[in-house]
Amino acid sequence: MQKPDRKSISPAFRLLFGNQLSGIVLALLLIILVASLFSPYFLTPYNISITIRSLAFVGLVSLGQALLLILGDLDLSVGSIAGLCGVIGGKLMVDFHVDPFLSFALALVCGAGCGFLNGLIINALNLNALVVTIGMAGVYGGINLVITTGKAIIGIPQAIRFLGTGDLFGLPFPFVVLVLMLILVYALTMFTPFGRYMYAIGNSRDAAKMLGIRVARIRVICFMLACLLASLAGMLMVARLGSSQPSIGETWVLTSIAAPVIGGIATTGGIGNPAGAIVGAAIIGVIENIIVLFGVSPYWQTVVSGAIVVIAVSLDAVSRWLVRRKKL
Amino acid sequence: MAVLEAREIGKEFPGVVALRNVNLALEPGEIHCIVGENGAGKSTLVKILIGFYLPDSGEVIIDGVSASTEPKGFEKISYVPQELNLFQELTVSENLFIPFEKSGFSRTFLTKGQLHRAAHRYLKTFRIATDPNEKVKNLSVSDQQLLQIARAATNRDFKILILDEPTTSLTGEEGTRLFEIIRELKSAGKSILFISHKLEEVFALGDSISVLRNGEKVGESRASVATIPWVIQSMCGAELDFEENCQPQVSPGEVVLDVQNLSGQGFSDVSFTLREGEILGFAGLVGAGRSEIMQTLFGFLPRIAGKATVAGKAWVFNDTHHSVRNGFIYLSEERKLHGIFPYLSLKHNIGITLFPKTVRGGFISAKIESQIIDQIVRQYEIKAVSSDQQIMYLSGGNQQKAIVGRSMYITPKVLVCDEPTKGIDIRTKNYIYHLMKSLAENERLGIILVSSELEELLKCSNRIVTLYAGRQSGEFKADTTTREAILRAMIATNQERDAEA
Repeated sequence: MQKPDRKSISPAFRLLFGNQLSGIVLALLLIILVASLFSPYFLTPYNISITIRSLAFVGLVSLGQALLLILGDLDLSVGSIAGLCGVIGGKLMVDFHVDPFLSFALALVCGAGCGFLNGLIINALNLNALVVTIGMAGVYGGINLVITTGKAIIGIPQAIRFLGTGDLFGLPFPFVVLVLMLILVYALTMFTPFGRYMYAIGNSRDAAKMLGIRVARIRVICFMLACLLASLAGMLMVARLGSSQPSIGETWVLTSIAAPVIGGIATTGGIGNPAGAIVGAAIIGVIENIIVLFGVSPYWQTVVSGAIVVIAVSLDAVSRWLVRRKKL
Repeated sequence: MAVLEAREIGKEFPGVVALRNVNLALEPGEIHCIVGENGAGKSTLVKILIGFYLPDSGEVIIDGVSASTEPKGFEKISYVPQELNLFQELTVSENLFIPFEKSGFSRTFLTKGQLHRAAHRYLKTFRIATDPNEKVKNLSVSDQQLLQIARAATNRDFKILILDEPTTSLTGEEGTRLFEIIRELKSAGKSILFISHKLEEVFALGDSISVLRNGEKVGESRASVATIPWVIQSMCGAELDFEENCQPQVSPGEVVLDVQNLSGQGFSDVSFTLREGEILGFAGLVGAGRSEIMQTLFGFLPRIAGKATVAGKAWVFNDTHHSVRNGFIYLSEERKLHGIFPYLSLKHNIGITLFPKTVRGGFISAKIESQIIDQIVRQYEIKAVSSDQQIMYLSGGNQQKAIVGRSMYITPKVLVCDEPTKGIDIRTKNYIYHLMKSLAENERLGIILVSSELEELLKCSNRIVTLYAGRQSGEFKADTTTREAILRAMIATNQERDAEA
């Protein structure tokens, strides 16, 4: 077996250019460079801080969605789950006077529970994840409205506000949580048998079953993890706002799929790196930030983030075409 | 003048020279066979001839005109790929005539009636007994294969038909049916390029034979003067002994698998036993229920009735995880769908079964994993640029070796090989026969071999069970039986045979 002279290439060079992520990391750096050239406000500490703070919420949801995309699944109810769990957490703290940290934890348990339910329905009846989770998004969103009648729960205890508004090591706390979760998810997918099984299932569910991999169990666990991360984002948002807004998470679903796709995770499953989801989310976040800084109407934000998704997917197709022309 | 000509074709892919100065001429009304081992460059050559790839050097000439100046020439070529690629949810007649412009339906509005009337003729010519209205997914695999060839023939402009391993999912009888059709096409003036691993077919059908080896054409001959040893020697570059018997020669041990009155989808009331150290063959036509029985035992398909014991313990059905953990391994016929993880590297495809050995404290040790994988790659002679190469870019034979290699690390007791040599070249085939033999003899595995090739079954198995239409129709000792006896049991049950007599 020959190994093309890999060793002669410096490790730094390989990290920069030999990695599947290097392309989009470079794209992100380029966008940042352009933005900082055109707007004096872009690289100010305040702007950086709000950008990465809001990145944290979407990032967490995208990270969870990335797990499902790798499996060849997806969940369109993550936004509703974030909102519902935020409301449940807030209700427990404010109306039932449960310890705020315990309420926070219970909200996460609810998130995982919603994921369990989604995964169970999809697996047990062998249904399409897309259709089931669209339906479940309605169910969770509806329960949210039943509980709140559309009104925000205010008066979240100060004790946990720092989880949303505070800083740790000079970084916004939610962002620190995101980094921590990324490390955990990265280790899980890259270095454990569980992660390898995930990729195997995403490549071919039948082949995985033929090897005796517990496909159903792994899928359910991943739905639980994804929804747990969504509820974590929801609760951190509650802590940041100081109130449980029923509308939390409403805009997260599209981004949670767009970000992993921009980051090189195929919607068909089996390929990609979960860290790509965060880079993808960062690209979207930075561009949205630029729009605000340049004084463009915020209504344009959705147009732009939608367009980015389409462009990213097209670039992916073009690069795949180039590779195929060379390889096959 | 040749109707299709390849001149000095060269093609390179990263790290591999796929073709080097290949010349080929297909004469009008000729059946020209191309043979070669996996990775010899047959598929690349075909893909260049149909205009899917551009050659790096050389040119393709169709009807005297270079295809690089006149790409329209490619429309005269109909190509039938090895894999089925029909529209499963559409009807037979729709599948036949799509794309409609090519098959002569130029009108904007088409009625089903028009299509069906036109379809009857093709179904008759190609001996496909089905209603044109039937959805393709309801057809047997062999009918689908024939339909795919019929589809190629609906192209109005076609003069050249290229068939890539068309008999891989056909049984002997269906293959004969296909050959008749090919000969009819030939007498209708079409030229046929036929790619195959099976030398019997090549000699039965071909007018001339071209042999490829490592991307070069190493020989060409008229079929009437060529000999099998010459072809084999040209293909492999060395003589191999193919007459050798590969039956395990140890005395069989304990019963490892005892199946009683098992019924499932497409078969019923099947009973047999398998002992340590023996190879039990399963013969039957496509659709006789061979794969279904094995997949039901394995837990991939649901069981309807019956029971089984493995190594003396009552068997749990419908749970592949349990099966694998208890040493029951099934290697599927559908390597692409059920075997490999196409986008993962060779390393990760093999590594997936090694975790009991490679995991330290919950994490996979990259170092230990690489060591074991390098060893498997060497031991099973898997050819790849590196173990980081995506497995989809490996040849079928090398994929199969990887699958067998990784399965051995699950320490199986029962190994079911479903068509293990489908689409695999002679040398690798031989390798797999010897591998099965040595696994039975040295590891004391009980091996079940499901195969459509009677030669393969007779060569490798100690005993052979025959199936007909989902029922057991006989059991034979391979040493004392004849080809004919098994064939007879494959095409009719005992009762029917008695009734005839």
